[in-house]
Amino acid sequence: MNSSMIESYMKALRKRPLLSKEEEIELAKRIEKGDQKARKIMIESNLRLAFSIAKKYAKYGSSMDDLIQECNIGLIKAIEKFDWRKGYKFSTYSCWWIRQAATRHLSADNSLLNIPSHTLALSRKIIQLQKEYYEEFKTDPSAEEISAILEVPIKHVKNALSCSKAKNTYSIDTPVSDENGRTLADILPSRDMSLDDMIDSKIFKEQIIQSFKSLSKREEMIIRMRFGISEVLSNDNNVCEIKEEK
Amino acid sequence: MPMPKGYKKETGYGSSKSLGGMSYHQIAEKMNNQNYKMNHSTARNVFVNGLIKIADNITKIHGHNFDHKKLKSIAIDPRFQEAISEYMKEIEYDRSHSNNK
Repeated sequence: MNSSMIESYMKALRKRPLLSKEEEIELAKRIEKGDQKARKIMIESNLRLAFSIAKKYAKYGSSMDDLIQECNIGLIKAIEKFDWRKGYKFSTYSCWWIRQAATRHLSADNSLLNIPSHTLALSRKIIQLQKEYYEEFKTDPSAEEISAILEVPIKHVKNALSCSKAKNTYSIDTPVSDENGRTLADILPSRDMSLDDMIDSKIFKEQIIQSFKSLSKREEMIIRMRFGISEVLSNDNNVCEIKEEK
Repeated sequence: MPMPKGYKKETGYGSSKSLGGMSYHQIAEKMNNQNYKMNHSTARNVFVNGLIKIADNITKIHGHNFDHKKLKSIAIDPRFQEAISEYMKEIEYDRSHSNNK
């Protein structure tokens, strides 16, 4: 959605008048009874609120149209959960749902891995705590200390700490900033053995096989047992083609 | 012969856990069952002697001619033992795979 489309969307939203508290209650009662028309009016009248909240989250890197959609979903959820009997205005109630939808979308959008929102929330708490702890004691708190301060199980703390690392996960197909269209997969070194290493390894294995020929059966059996390799000596199942019994 | 000062710190022990096999006591017991009379000390001596022979062969192939003391120090080095263990396991793995094909 480009800026002109957003403007025209905003214009369309402005045409819909805001609801008074009495109108909200009236509509909420009708929604409770299953009136779809009332639901539609309630949604359309509050799209402006969802839009204004979405704008505040646009600076965190997600596309504006995605954010608007997510905030609208949050708004619809708020309408389903709204209880007019509690006496609050709908906007007061719904903005929490809309914000939650926006933050969930942002956290899911920022990471390749799908991390549960409660773990992300704990991760944010931990980061805040680490900052404060460092300012006070000039050292980072241990996982046990974090667990004790936040009163959460250490297992959850460890999960949250590892999830904050997961934010730095990149796809192997991420383009590298050069003109050749290369990806990370093209420039990362392989962990496999190089050809030289493979040849060296093969030669060394042959040398070990040769060396075993000078061992007695007793020595060979003990070495095998010590190394956890089958100690049964048989000519056809012999590891290193070690010489037969002396 | 006492272990050189700082040796253990640098190299650690070649334990049955790190090598993935049996302890010397277990080996001695198993060998006794197979009519090879020995105790755990003998098991260790035979093990070290075997490794000395391997170390001797390998170092000779690489153009070295070490004396027995040097060869023993190589043989008892857990890094050498672990390397030989790894290579033996790889050899076994390669063989079992080539047999299956």
